[in-house]
Amino acid sequence: MTAPATLDSSPESPAADGGRRSGTRLGLVGVAVAVVVALLLGFAGGLLTPRLTRPGDDSVEAGFARDMTAHHAQAVEMGMMAFQRGTDPEVRQIGGDIASGQQGEIGIMQTWLRGWGLDPTGSQPRMAWMPDGASLVKNGLMPGMATPQEMERLRAAQGREFDLLFLNMMINHHLGGIHMIDGVLDAGDESEVLRTAQIMKNTQQTDLTNLQNAKKRLGG
Amino acid sequence: MSISTPGGEQRRPTVVSTGKKPAAGRPASGAKAGSGKPTAARAGGGKGPRKPIAPVKVSQGRAKGPIILFVVVGLVAAGIIGFGAWAAFQGSKPWEERADAISGIVNYREKDPELVKGSNHQPGPIKYTVSPPVAGPHNQAWQNCMGDVYDAPIANEHAVHSLEHGAIWITYRPDLPADQVSKLAEKVRGNEKMLMSPFEGLDKPISLQAWGYQLKLDNADDSRIDEFVKTLRVNASIEGPTALCNQGITATGTTPRDDGVQMPTQ
Repeated sequence: MTAPATLDSSPESPAADGGRRSGTRLGLVGVAVAVVVALLLGFAGGLLTPRLTRPGDDSVEAGFARDMTAHHAQAVEMGMMAFQRGTDPEVRQIGGDIASGQQGEIGIMQTWLRGWGLDPTGSQPRMAWMPDGASLVKNGLMPGMATPQEMERLRAAQGREFDLLFLNMMINHHLGGIHMIDGVLDAGDESEVLRTAQIMKNTQQTDLTNLQNAKKRLGG
Repeated sequence: MSISTPGGEQRRPTVVSTGKKPAAGRPASGAKAGSGKPTAARAGGGKGPRKPIAPVKVSQGRAKGPIILFVVVGLVAAGIIGFGAWAAFQGSKPWEERADAISGIVNYREKDPELVKGSNHQPGPIKYTVSPPVAGPHNQAWQNCMGDVYDAPIANEHAVHSLEHGAIWITYRPDLPADQVSKLAEKVRGNEKMLMSPFEGLDKPISLQAWGYQLKLDNADDSRIDEFVKTLRVNASIEGPTALCNQGITATGTTPRDDGVQMPTQ
């Protein structure tokens, strides 16, 4: 079987070689083009992948960054008031700590949004990124947030009354905040977001202990 | 035999390997391997040459198959990546471009760059050329813009400072129907970098202000309100996303308070 095959092909080898050579050349060009196209596609894919895989406008991460910014902003407002107007030294100290710490975290979250090419304002309702989240929003306020009336009362309060009102409001605020942080820890994918959220949770849990102890100490 | 040769290089190893081991992996030789015993029986009948013919046809079909496959896959890949690129770049249009695309918006950054630049603190009442004002000098205290819904007019001198910090100031003519007012209030309440107040003498029922931008509207259901807020809230700020909206004036009244941060009497 081997012999006839060899014999058969040898008389026609010039023609066969010619066909083979042009075929080979075509094949090489084809392979080269394919390689170049593959490299270009790979390059384009590499450029685009971060853009396409980064959190989108309706993502859990973007929702968390926007909503936690608004939530934090109110804690900053209350913390600054406690820092300025608290009577008890620990209330003033905790107020300043929370205000500066959460303002810093607002900067981190806003930087994420900018890095993801997203607006600070979303198109979704508040808390829509959390399962059943939208139902937790009351009068536009996310869990733990103080109503305009409560803020008004805090602005008007003085002395020990102010201190206790602040402690109560900040305890509620942190409880709501931790609930939202748990939401992103459950549903989020971005490692940087999860890491920061975990740090936020740790901080707020420590704060909670101290706020509750201060409340007890002040007889509230 | 002449038919077998155009198969070229690709086919050759098949033939050779057929000779070496009849059970080679290729489908063509596999077919042969399957018919190995009958072939051996018919070998004398000169049917040997026919065997190479089968691989030739197969390999020709194969040669086209991968090309078509690669072209299709390539086109699909290029399409996906092209669409992704288009969508990604479309979505990340700069906010300035998106702002200019909102119909009816007035861009004072272009119309009056001097006005939009000036952000000096200046005590006492200030005269503004645009009503409601969108930029310019202002009191050192800003109006609280933590989603505050004011039920009475507020001082321009404080509100302009809030705009500088990235707030959207929604103003409405006092005769705007109550249901429309509450629709507007829903967009504001609980949202920091937002504030809202009635404004006497407005030439339209509703007017939206961001630093350097204004949009006047007839109706609270207008979809351009959300567009304006999404595009310009914080983005239009010249002091960035961490400028404060709290610690501001929470009182109403159009007379500016020069004395800075509002401190309830202790």
